Amino acid sequence: MAAAAPSPAPAPSHSPKVASPKACDRKVVPVTASDEVVLKEKHVLAVDDSSVDRAVIAKILRSSKYRVTTVESATRALELLCLGLLPDVNMIVTDYWMPGMTGYELLKRVKESSKLKEIPVVIMSSENVPNRISRCLEEGAEDFLLKPVRASDVSRLCSRIR
Amino acid sequence: MEYSNLRRQIICMKKSLFDQGYLDEQFNQLEELQDESSPNFVEEVVVLFFNDSSRLLTNIEQTLEKYPQDFYQLDSLVHQLKGSGTSIGAIRMKNECSVFKAHCNDKSLEGSLQKMKREHATLKKKLETYFQLMRQAGPRERAVNSRK
Repeated sequence: MAAAAPSPAPAPSHSPKVASPKACDRKVVPVTASDEVVLKEKHVLAVDDSSVDRAVIAKILRSSKYRVTTVESATRALELLCLGLLPDVNMIVTDYWMPGMTGYELLKRVKESSKLKEIPVVIMSSENVPNRISRCLEEGAEDFLLKPVRASDVSRLCSRIR
Repeated sequence: MEYSNLRRQIICMKKSLFDQGYLDEQFNQLEELQDESSPNFVEEVVVLFFNDSSRLLTNIEQTLEKYPQDFYQLDSLVHQLKGSGTSIGAIRMKNECSVFKAHCNDKSLEGSLQKMKREHATLKKKLETYFQLMRQAGPRERAVNSRK
């Protein structure tokens, strides 16, 4: 497991008893009864047109303690994101090749949007095409995972999720 | 007594699925993901695969029957089939898809299609038997089996 960077979630200054959480921790830690600041589970949006791949990536992410929303198209993902129906997404994981809008196009749209551009986007692909990989990284992708994705690939991403 | 027989059958069957190249390491990865919160995870994913792949094979067959042949559509369908096969570790299916793709320019795809369908049917039968044994053995078996 990669060493986790300290969580960016604000630690309440009046309660030194709260230990600095690891980025991968899902624990909700109410500091005091009245304190509204809780350390939430990280929320990942997984986009893939294949039901098999959605099931696998969702399971891998949930096993790593993430909350997961799955959608089957980039169009749907953008819809939900732009409508503000997924306000707390910490990361998007998307397949590269999908009918209609590709994961690459989704990546571009997210990075062009002032509202969404801070969300890290990870691309998954079954094809190892160096050109494709560099294009995605240039466009601002956080990482590029080759399918089939494994649990170890995901734990690498852990420290990058804001 | 009954249980250890079943266990032996399961281990044998799994070994042969791997030795004969039907499944690869990815299948083990899926078994490792299985846990108390989703005790039937692997079977569920395999069912998803066969739902998807049966539909894709039908679409491939229909697309092949059209003239002029839509190679773009064919390529897309086979790509999807190859992708989900890879995700469950169905290595022989994956290879058949690659062969099919390679023949896309050949115009002699009918033979490749039949091979793919045969491979698909064989894998389905074997995995159905495998999961039947797993279900008979009960939840205890999953914990043991996931360690290969």
